[in-house]
Amino acid sequence: MTRRQLLTGLASLAVATVVFILPFLFVLINAAKTPAEASQPSFAWPSEWHLWSNLVEVVQVRDYALLLAYFNSIVITVGAMTLLVIFAAMVGYVLQRRPTRFSKFVEFTALAGLMIPPAVVPTIWVLQQVNLFKTIHGMILIQVAYGLSFCILLFRAFISSIPRDLDEAAIVDGATPLQVFFRVILPLLKPVTLTVIVVQSITIFNDFTHPLYYLPGAENITVQLTLYNFQSQFTSQLNLLFMNILLITIPPLLVFVFFNRQIVAGMTSGAVKG
Amino acid sequence: MARVALNALRKSFGAVEVIKGVDLDVEDGEFCVFVGPSGCGKSTLLRMISGLEEVTSGTIEIGGADVTRAEPSKRGIAMVFQSYALYPHLTVRENMGFGLSLARMPKDQIAAEVDKVAAILQLEPLLDRKPKALSGGQRQRVAIGRAIVRDPGVFLFDEPLSNLDAALRSQMRLELTDLHARLGATMIYVTHDQVEAMTMADKIVVLNAGRIEQVGTPMDLYERPATPFVAGFIGSPKMNLFEGEVARRMGASVYGIRPEHLKVSDDDGTWQGTVRHVERLGADTILHVEVPDLGPVLARIEGHRTYAHGARVYLTPDPEREFRYQDGAAAS
Repeated sequence: MTRRQLLTGLASLAVATVVFILPFLFVLINAAKTPAEASQPSFAWPSEWHLWSNLVEVVQVRDYALLLAYFNSIVITVGAMTLLVIFAAMVGYVLQRRPTRFSKFVEFTALAGLMIPPAVVPTIWVLQQVNLFKTIHGMILIQVAYGLSFCILLFRAFISSIPRDLDEAAIVDGATPLQVFFRVILPLLKPVTLTVIVVQSITIFNDFTHPLYYLPGAENITVQLTLYNFQSQFTSQLNLLFMNILLITIPPLLVFVFFNRQIVAGMTSGAVKG
Repeated sequence: MARVALNALRKSFGAVEVIKGVDLDVEDGEFCVFVGPSGCGKSTLLRMISGLEEVTSGTIEIGGADVTRAEPSKRGIAMVFQSYALYPHLTVRENMGFGLSLARMPKDQIAAEVDKVAAILQLEPLLDRKPKALSGGQRQRVAIGRAIVRDPGVFLFDEPLSNLDAALRSQMRLELTDLHARLGATMIYVTHDQVEAMTMADKIVVLNAGRIEQVGTPMDLYERPATPFVAGFIGSPKMNLFEGEVARRMGASVYGIRPEHLKVSDDDGTWQGTVRHVERLGADTILHVEVPDLGPVLARIEGHRTYAHGARVYLTPDPEREFRYQDGAAAS
């Protein structure tokens, strides 16, 4: 390693520490304080460590709302991911393999989904008409709709790297179109599927605004909305708020730690032929 | 076992016609090779027989039944692809049994069929490996095995040896010929390599620009090429073909003589020329000779002889082996 490489390496580590580690430490330190100390959040060391008692209090508040929120968020994330992966892979497959005028239109619609900002009020109106407003499955469909475009593009790019000969070999072997997809293509999509799962599940799990609009009601609370438990117009319990942030940051963090290699692999696959 | 008959087969992609009316009979148990330059439509023709490419007009019969619009799996064919097209996520055993499992054959029966074919191709030690752990030749064998397991009436090969190195290719040529003798099935084989065509085929179909130029046994095509194209395509090194004034003097619009049918002499002959290049292959020597009026001429001599660059030689065509063509057809 040259001196120059060493210096730039150290500099980027320092920047990364400031950007990524310091906020996390700030949250951790303030989550351990008493309400009085935390009312003026700072990097000052807590006089007494209240990590465990704060944690218990956060979990118990509002009749274990946090646990219900975890349950709701997990149901939404898992449900939306299942639909997203299957639909996006299927659409991506058809778009890549059968370039017709209709598929061009579908492709344009998918791109439009990325470019045109969603309109909240009309969406709520539609949801009310089909009786899906304030329901978990309505929320799942919303998340699928928001994520589909991006996932289709990822899957389509990946599928273009799978030789068409494989489809044809399967057809000669007697596979129906559905069998070609489920028995030959889908198993080969594992790398990009992992990427899609990691990226989208974190997005959905961390989503704050959409559940806020489309999923009102105490029994429908999701993890990000639990933050409102501790901050309102008249009271704030910043120590518990920080503890809450800490708790809901952990699951996505774990996903990243375990899957970060696959994310990069899936994102770049199909970029270069190899 | 099946006879294949193509009747007035045509294929267009948009406004471009790539197969321009092909009539062909491949007899039961025959090894038929489609050969031609790239872009001549030979692969398209094979894919039409397999059902992967739709037919624009004309009919295809396999084993007496009209299969022009039938699904590939209902035609009694199996195909070996140039890229082998092995399913990367399945083991060799699963690859070979895939077609049978789609047909909902019981598992033990599939295993028995796969084992039987693996024994023929000596694939037993590889059965539990994934394709990525196999060499090119082994993959090729698995692809052939997958075709045999389906017990088809007709085998279709789409340039199956073109990804192998030269030594392996000549070995696989022998194995495929043996396999054909052993299975007795009809095989249709596409290649651009005329050596593969000459060594393996019972019947060669020479295609050019979407049309059949000539059909015949390898020696038929070598001895009696019907058109200048076939004359130039079959045989290695290529036949010397002359047009224009030279050919007119010989009484034809195209005149051809094979390099091996030119007598080379140091002091006397019909044409005099100078040696531009010498290729010594050991068993024979190929001379590139520049003859005034004719241009470059290839001549083949048995054994190895040394000629200096620029040496003067005389060439004499064997009058029994000259080819004359008038208006694209053999002149009597």
